[in-house]
Amino acid sequence: MTETKGVCFFAYNNEAIDYIELAILAAAQAKKHLDLPITVITDAGTYNWLKQKPDGVAQAKKFIDNIIITEEDLKLNHRKHWDSPWSSFNAPFFNSNKHKIWEYSPYEQTLLLDIDYMIRSDSLLQSFSHEGVCMFDEALDLRSDKPGSRERYLFDGGIPMWWSTVVYFDRTSTSKLFFDTWAHVADNYEFYQYLYNFPGRLFRTDYCVSIAVHILNGMTTGDSINNFPGALLNMDQKDDIVEIRENDWIMLSNDKQKQWQNIVVKVTDQDIHCMNKRAILRHTKQIWETNT
Amino acid sequence: MDERLQKALEFSNYSLTITNQKKNIKNRINQLRIVHHNNGVFFADEATISFVKTLIDLGNKSAILIDTKENPVEVDNLKNLLDNLTSAYFSATNELNAEYVKIKKQRTVTKLMDW
Repeated sequence: MTETKGVCFFAYNNEAIDYIELAILAAAQAKKHLDLPITVITDAGTYNWLKQKPDGVAQAKKFIDNIIITEEDLKLNHRKHWDSPWSSFNAPFFNSNKHKIWEYSPYEQTLLLDIDYMIRSDSLLQSFSHEGVCMFDEALDLRSDKPGSRERYLFDGGIPMWWSTVVYFDRTSTSKLFFDTWAHVADNYEFYQYLYNFPGRLFRTDYCVSIAVHILNGMTTGDSINNFPGALLNMDQKDDIVEIRENDWIMLSNDKQKQWQNIVVKVTDQDIHCMNKRAILRHTKQIWETNT
Repeated sequence: MDERLQKALEFSNYSLTITNQKKNIKNRINQLRIVHHNNGVFFADEATISFVKTLIDLGNKSAILIDTKENPVEVDNLKNLLDNLTSAYFSATNELNAEYVKIKKQRTVTKLMDW
């Protein structure tokens, strides 16, 4: 480990979403607001795709300090993605090795971000003053409403959900224990799905970390893992981006009950978890213009 | 569409948007009021600021404080914490005021979004 603090992203392309492009966009914003070294973990196929793009590698190197190419067999995870309420598509995504960030990260203190987490403030810098692991256990949507019960608990009456979208960790023994437990849960996902009684066929790292936290807390609520103050701001896959400015992102928040209705929302200088990835990619040019 | 209904719907849309915008601003302001200190997390509200100031006025330079997560935090320099709390408080409230003044002036959704 050569550097003390840094940001990491995983980016594995599929046929429907250009994850490495998203990683570069996310890295540009993280670089601007956090000013930390950035590492992207990817595979040979994705990196070759980047090399084929005109100025792809040169563009990436402006913001990404280090690219790690992994050679492991990733489990295929299929899910339905939405791009507004009116367009959906199925695409695989790869997240089965996210816990291996403990091995891949070259930093003493790491902030692991999903590539759809748009850093637009320096608020996460304060997390580097903490010991152990930090994640969000609260989330809000663009209307400042809490998510539905299935995004707050693993099932109705189940354990509380923690989000693996943003994970801060250092190299303490507590952090090591957390990642070992996450790996164990990921390796035995079906067993834990049966034990914790959550539905669906999707492999969710949010569920893995939630179970790991629950185990480390002695099967109850506790504080072995820290929570980031405040809440993760989620832009739903059915929401959309209208316009991107230097400080403001103008978005459409879709009404979950009346899908034909939207309201306009202006988000100023706040980090946003933009789950509608195609909406981000539609605004690539504006993101570049406001971050370079 | 009946003009009266159209106006009512436009106002309802504006009202919903402005209410949501205020909620968003408050969330952001609350984020700005968070102060991290010695592995603890404090919220820059009136009670915390007053309490820290009281401790200083009583002649304390350091103290153990309970943070927002109910953990004890050793504060070596209360003055330093007070400075951070007041700074966070003022920057948050100034920003909240500026946003509210801006919102009050805008009477349509398009103006609210600076379009």
